[in-house]
Amino acid sequence: MNDAANTDRWIRWLNTMQLVLAGVLIMAPTVWMVLSSFKPSFEVTAYPPTLSFSPTLENYVELTRTTPFLSYALNSLIVTVGSTTLGLVFGIPAAFAVSWTRITWPAILTLAARMAPGTLFLLPWYVMFRQIGMIGSYTALILSHAVITLPIVIWVLLPSFDGIPRSVFEAAQVDGCSVTRILWRIALPLVASGVAVSAILAFVFSWNYFLFALVLSNGDTKTLIAAAFNFIGEGSTQWGALMAAATLIALPPLVLAALVQRWLVSGLTLGAVKG
Amino acid sequence: MSATAATSTQDRQKLEMVALSAPAVVFTVAMIAFPVVYTIWLGFQTFSSTGKQSFAGLANYSKLISDYEFWHGLWITIALFVLSLVLQLVFGVWLALVLFHAKRLPGIVRSLFISPFMMPPVVAGMMWLVILDPSLGAANYILQSFGLPPSDWLASPTWVIPTVALIDSWQWTPYVALIVLGGLQSLPPSVYEAAQIDGASPFKTFQRITLPLLLPTIVTAAILRSVDLLRFFDIIYITTQGGPGNASNTLNIYGFRVGFEFFNFGYASALMLTLTAIVFGAVLAFNRLRGAVAW
Repeated sequence: MNDAANTDRWIRWLNTMQLVLAGVLIMAPTVWMVLSSFKPSFEVTAYPPTLSFSPTLENYVELTRTTPFLSYALNSLIVTVGSTTLGLVFGIPAAFAVSWTRITWPAILTLAARMAPGTLFLLPWYVMFRQIGMIGSYTALILSHAVITLPIVIWVLLPSFDGIPRSVFEAAQVDGCSVTRILWRIALPLVASGVAVSAILAFVFSWNYFLFALVLSNGDTKTLIAAAFNFIGEGSTQWGALMAAATLIALPPLVLAALVQRWLVSGLTLGAVKG
Repeated sequence: MSATAATSTQDRQKLEMVALSAPAVVFTVAMIAFPVVYTIWLGFQTFSSTGKQSFAGLANYSKLISDYEFWHGLWITIALFVLSLVLQLVFGVWLALVLFHAKRLPGIVRSLFISPFMMPPVVAGMMWLVILDPSLGAANYILQSFGLPPSDWLASPTWVIPTVALIDSWQWTPYVALIVLGGLQSLPPSVYEAAQIDGASPFKTFQRITLPLLLPTIVTAAILRSVDLLRFFDIIYITTQGGPGNASNTLNIYGFRVGFEFFNFGYASALMLTLTAIVFGAVLAFNRLRGAVAW
């Protein structure tokens, strides 16, 4: 009996140790990035690397002084909010119609964007947008990023709409409600949390997306992610400012993701896994 | 009378359904379907150095077959894909088992676990670029303090692909783990009780019961990761742009550079269509596999 209890305790201890090890491996690089961003510039590149230092905001000041960081951030915000809104406006009614009619091809077609390499779309877009003089415009960036947000909204909301009992809709129909009215007045309030999760996921993935802005933006509309590429080129030894930029760029998606972490994984699998 | 009323209600309903999905369908056709058709057409065009375009038939595709860079890129793409997928599935299943036995998982811990794959891949590339710097990086310092030889990591033609696979696995192993954890939690507890009564060892239980029951979930995770791994772009473009030399020039990076550095849209289209076919082929193959291991 005592033996069994000992083995049990031993196994639990072993499991805790593995959990701690995994946690350290997962967190250490991010912690190092944040620490480096608060180090005085001479200490960032110190070798051997130092752990104790007097924290400073010098890198953040340097970043905003030498780069138009705030206007890049504003560009990112415009493109992300614009494409998320577009994704919701197009995606909510479409997801409802797909759930109601069981005609799934519109939803499946949007998945093509989740599977094909971005360059496949970027080549024709570039030719098309160039012809109508839209390269570098917010409109082109928002439209291209909506290709990322639309499938997220549709596929996160589909299971939510499917979860509403049909009888609810039928009762409303008997009362003479139109389909559109049922969507806005009855279905949408019932899936409000799903809408919130889809909006946050769409925001995160639009914010994080690199490739489209790399080609379709210009000096005035460059997003933070596309500009990050220039930060590396300009300051190959300016590690402090580089890590300050990385920390600030990662902050919005990490904060938002933490808010919905419980529903996040099932949402991310686009309906392939019920979590 | 009631029959005609019913039909008109049904007709109106159908019309409303069309109206509800119309914006998304029009957008998808304009931004996804039409551009893909346009890319197929571009694949039959050739662009001269002055930008003049003309019909080229299958010239881009025959060029593909004799292009060393294409075959090299295909090899790099597959090597990176296999290496990353194996790392992420093995460590993902391990991490899921550890999390499963931890029973209670506070929200803050979950938030920390999702943080790698919720941050932009570009940021992951930036931070690892600093950590893996050959002369001043923390990684080599840690290796040396354990008496191990330092590595050139991303700057080494031999190690650049394993290094990129390592960075991507750092980002996405927790994602695989959380999917597998969901699968573990949905397994019926009765099978474990039966195994315990039969006196099966923990290892035997895992090998004979848990793993086979988990396979459909693992294959699903593999599909979701494959789609991203075969069109790998961000981290490579941020850290090496395909280098050193052409050591990390995957098909996606190569196609992008043919298109937007050399402006040969015809050949770039042929490259991208080939890569797309590979991704869809992989998804179909995995889907078959998922059907075969379903229970």
